[in-house]
Amino acid sequence: MSNLSDFPSQLSPKMKMADAINQYHSLLTVLPRLNIPLGFGEKSIEQLCIEHHVSLPLFTLISRVYCQNDYYPTANELQQCKMADILQYLTLSHKDYLENKLPHIEHHLKRLLDPMDKKYSSLITNFYAEFRKEMEKHFQYEEEVIFPYLRQILSEDEAVESATYQKSDFHQQHDDIEDTLNDLTNLLLKYIPGNISPEDRVDMLLDMYALSNDVAKHAMMEDRILVPYIQLLESKRHE
Amino acid sequence: MNKIAIAEPSPMLRNGLAQLLDDIPDVEIVLSTDNLNALNCRISALKPDILIINPLLFEYARRATIRAEYDNLPNLRLVGLITSYIESQHQKQFAGIIELNDDLQRVKSTLNQVISTLNTDNDESDTAPLSDREKEVLICLSKGLKNNEIADKLNISVYTVITHRKNIVRKTGIKSVAALTVYAILNNLIEEKDII
Repeated sequence: MSNLSDFPSQLSPKMKMADAINQYHSLLTVLPRLNIPLGFGEKSIEQLCIEHHVSLPLFTLISRVYCQNDYYPTANELQQCKMADILQYLTLSHKDYLENKLPHIEHHLKRLLDPMDKKYSSLITNFYAEFRKEMEKHFQYEEEVIFPYLRQILSEDEAVESATYQKSDFHQQHDDIEDTLNDLTNLLLKYIPGNISPEDRVDMLLDMYALSNDVAKHAMMEDRILVPYIQLLESKRHE
Repeated sequence: MNKIAIAEPSPMLRNGLAQLLDDIPDVEIVLSTDNLNALNCRISALKPDILIINPLLFEYARRATIRAEYDNLPNLRLVGLITSYIESQHQKQFAGIIELNDDLQRVKSTLNQVISTLNTDNDESDTAPLSDREKEVLICLSKGLKNNEIADKLNISVYTVITHRKNIVRKTGIKSVAALTVYAILNNLIEEKDII
């Protein structure tokens, strides 16, 4: 457990969860996915993890990805986490995007575009719909191809087919999703006339930035944790 | 905004350097890492303009060819972060050298000098609106034309089309053709019925 002392600046298992969240707001989106409810009073990160059956190494890994942009886990740190825990977290994140984050943005978008000429607003609506499809497709690919493949390697089933995914595709899909989100943000920020739903628009953009940030962290989890983990397991198999 | 990546084993040096860079305008650190694996994993995607790298990260036999390791990124400028004796022959491959004893002013002037070599082919400001030619290229893109078709239609080289496309992306901050099409319609450059 020695590496837990490497928590990003002053973030340690003994720290109060409330202090951690006050310092790193983006962790707020992580808690519901780990089933840690708010209202935790003065409890520490460690206490809450034990109480809600969340693995402390997993929480450490996630919070480091969220709080440290240049974080790459070492093989040792990866091995402290159970892959099943990581996959469960990622799957719950997907669910959170599709069931909460995106509908929320859609709600804003609808209100925002309402006063606009239909000719123009339908363009944005269609663009958004494409983005949503792209995201759903990516999640589906992960849940139906990548995650089952990982579970198979983990089960040490000798008959596992060799990797059916391309690491570069995986990176590319993440970049594409982040780019599309960025494009949509710029369209709403820069090119829709200023008199259209000014207040809704600020709310919407704040949500979009929060989503972009979270999606970027999610991609980091997958690029920096999942992919190296797969490689680690594959190399062990070939020993 | 110039993007900088730092690869240096010592956390003290990385953080110290990051603080110095804070004072230089238009500079953003996109990656700061202590190892080559992390660097090489991300560098193609991040496309930094400058890589500040400690040659000691490479084993001795590879130190003479560090520049060649990043041949796939021809626009990347390498700055050597020299913390112990490195042969002068090896130092020549860097666009600039930062030494451990350099004072603040020296580090800044080294970096500014390297930055100045970056922007020579980019004299048009980001804040300029799209030029007429760029608008024409954008209209063609929105109609679904490929680079070579645009080149034929506007009677320019494919290379020029690519340059215009880069400028459009740089100015608007929009990368995908789908979103650029929305941009074109919102700005009345084309009518919706023109799109296939």
